Amino acid sequence: MKKRLFVVLTALFALTLVASGAIVSVQTAEAAPSANAEGALLSVYASFYPMYDFAAKIGGDKVTVVNMVPSGMEPHDWEPTAADIIGLENADVFIYNGAGMEHWVADVLPTLQNQDLVVVEAAEGLELREGHHHEEEEADDHEGEADEHEDEEDHDHGEFDPHVWLNPLYAKKEAENIKNAFVLADPENKGYYEENYAAVAAEFDLLDQEYRETLGGLPNKDFVVSHEAFGYLAAAYDLHQIGVEGLAPDSEPDPARVAEIIDLVKENKIRTIFFEELASPKVAESIAKETGAETGVLSPVEGLSDEELAAGADYFSVMRANLSALKNALQ
Amino acid sequence: MLAILEYDFMRRAFIVGILLAAIIPCIGIIVVLKRLSMIGDALSHTSLAGVAAGLIIGINPILGAVVTCIVAAFGIELIRKRIPKYAEMSIAIVMSAGIGLAGVLSGFVKNNANFNSFLFGSIVAISDFELILVACISCIVLLTFILLYKELFFISLDERAARLAGIPVGPINFIFTILTAVTVSIAARTVGALIVSSLMVVPVACAMQVGKSYFQTVVYSILFAILFTVSGLFISYYARLKPGGTIVLIGVICLVLLLAGKKILTLFRQSPGQA
Repeated sequence: MKKRLFVVLTALFALTLVASGAIVSVQTAEAAPSANAEGALLSVYASFYPMYDFAAKIGGDKVTVVNMVPSGMEPHDWEPTAADIIGLENADVFIYNGAGMEHWVADVLPTLQNQDLVVVEAAEGLELREGHHHEEEEADDHEGEADEHEDEEDHDHGEFDPHVWLNPLYAKKEAENIKNAFVLADPENKGYYEENYAAVAAEFDLLDQEYRETLGGLPNKDFVVSHEAFGYLAAAYDLHQIGVEGLAPDSEPDPARVAEIIDLVKENKIRTIFFEELASPKVAESIAKETGAETGVLSPVEGLSDEELAAGADYFSVMRANLSALKNALQ
Repeated sequence: MLAILEYDFMRRAFIVGILLAAIIPCIGIIVVLKRLSMIGDALSHTSLAGVAAGLIIGINPILGAVVTCIVAAFGIELIRKRIPKYAEMSIAIVMSAGIGLAGVLSGFVKNNANFNSFLFGSIVAISDFELILVACISCIVLLTFILLYKELFFISLDERAARLAGIPVGPINFIFTILTAVTVSIAARTVGALIVSSLMVVPVACAMQVGKSYFQTVVYSILFAILFTVSGLFISYYARLKPGGTIVLIGVICLVLLLAGKKILTLFRQSPGQA
C-alpha cells in the first residue's frame, strides 16, 4: 500500500516538473524573436482606452498598440488573462495610467520575465487629487450637508482619484510621458515621435481652450453624475460635480444620499442627471424620474464601444461630446 | 407625512421590501426544513449566468435569469435526490457551475453597461417594471403557499411519509422548485442577492426561537422579515448606511439577541429550582 502511494506521488512530481519545464521553454521560444527583431514595429501594450488612444496617436505607424481592456468593458474591475500576460512578456512598451486605476499592475509587473520592457506610468508627475474629499471642501459655496457626508462615505478606489485624463492639460502631460517612453525604447525614430507629440499637444491645448471658453460663461456650476470621475475636469473649469455613488461605479448608494441629491436637483433646478455608459443607469434613472430631470451620458472616456470605434470616435471626439452635454445641462 | 416617505424612491423601497419580506420567508421555511438553506445564494449567483446568456443571444436578460434559475433549481433537486444524505452538496455543485458559467459567458458580453444594470439590484433604485414584476410574483407565491400549505408542510418535514400519506410529492415539489427559482431570480435583480439570500434564512431562524408550532413559525418569520426590512430602511436612511447590508445585519443582531435571551431565560428558570 505504502509503496503504491510512493509510486503515485513520484509520478505526479515528475509530471509537474516536465510540464513546468515545457511551459517555460515555450515562453522563451515565443519571447525571443519579437524582442530582438530589427526594424520591427514597436510592440506597445496599453492598460485601457485613453492610454491606447494617446499611444496610437504618438506612435503612428511605427508602433502596434494593443488595448488590453476589450471595448465595452468597465476597466475598474478588469484583470488580465493569461494571454494578456504572455502578450506583456513579448511587448516592448507597457503604458498604464497609475494613480490607483489599474490595481492589477502592482501584482503583475514583478512577475514578468521581460527584462527589456519599458514601463510607463502615464500619470507620473501629475498632482493627484485625494479621493473625492477635496473637491467638496473647495466648493464651499455649497450647503454643509453634502460636505459632511462626503467625508463619511467609503469608496474602494484607493487613495487617489485616478481619472486624471479628463483634464485635457493633464492628458497632455500623460501623452508627454508616453512620448518619452517611446523615445527611450526606440531612439532611432525620436524625431517622428516628437513631431506626432507636438501635433497631439496642440490638440490638447485647443480642447482645453474650448472647455474654458464654453463653460466659463455658463450660469450653473453643478452637475450630477453617477460615477464621481470628473473631479479633475471640474477642478480645472471651476465646476462642481455631485456624485451619487462615490467614486466606484457599482457601489450601492445609501438612501439618505439619494434623497439629498433629489432635493439638491429640485432646489437648483438641475436639468440633467448624468450616468456613464459602462455602468448601471438605475440610480440615475430613479433620481431623474422623481425630479423630472433628464438623464444624459457623460463619458469618463474609460472605454469606447465597438460602434463608437467604428464611427471613428477617439478621446477628442468623446471629450467634445461631453463638453456639449455639459453645456446643455448647465445653461 | 414622514419626511422619509415624501420620496417616491423610498415609497417604492418600502412596497417592494415588504412584499418580498412577506414571500421570501414562506419559501425560506421550507428550504430550511429541507436542509437547503443556501439555495438563495446558489440560485442568485446562477442567475448571473442567465443574464449573461440573455444578453449574448439577445433575449430579455431577466427572462434569461428566470430560465437559468429554474434549470439550476431542478439541478439541485436532481442531485439532492441522488445523494439524499448530503443535500447541501447539491447546492455547492450547482452554485460553482453557475458562477463558472457566468464567468465564462461574461467574457462574451459586448455591452457591459447592460450587464451591470441587470447584475446589481438596489432596493433604493427600483423601476416601474420591477415594481410590477415583484407585485405579480408576490401574489402568485402567497396564493400557492396558502393553497398548498398542508402539503408543503408535510413534504418538508418528511418526504417519504408524505408520499405514503398519498400527497402528490412530485408535482408539488415541481411547483415549489419553479416558484423558488422565479422568486429568487426576480428578487435578486431587483433588490440584490444579499437581501434575498438572507431573508430566506435569518427570519426563519429567529422565528424558530419563538414559534411553538409550524404555523406560528411561519407567521413569526414573515413578521420578523417585515420588521428587519422596514427598520433596516429607516435606519439606513437616518444613519446614512447602505440599505442591503443594514437589513441583513439587523436580522443577524436580532437572532443573536433572541438566542442570548433564550439562554438567560432558561438559566433564570433553572436557578430558583436549584436554590
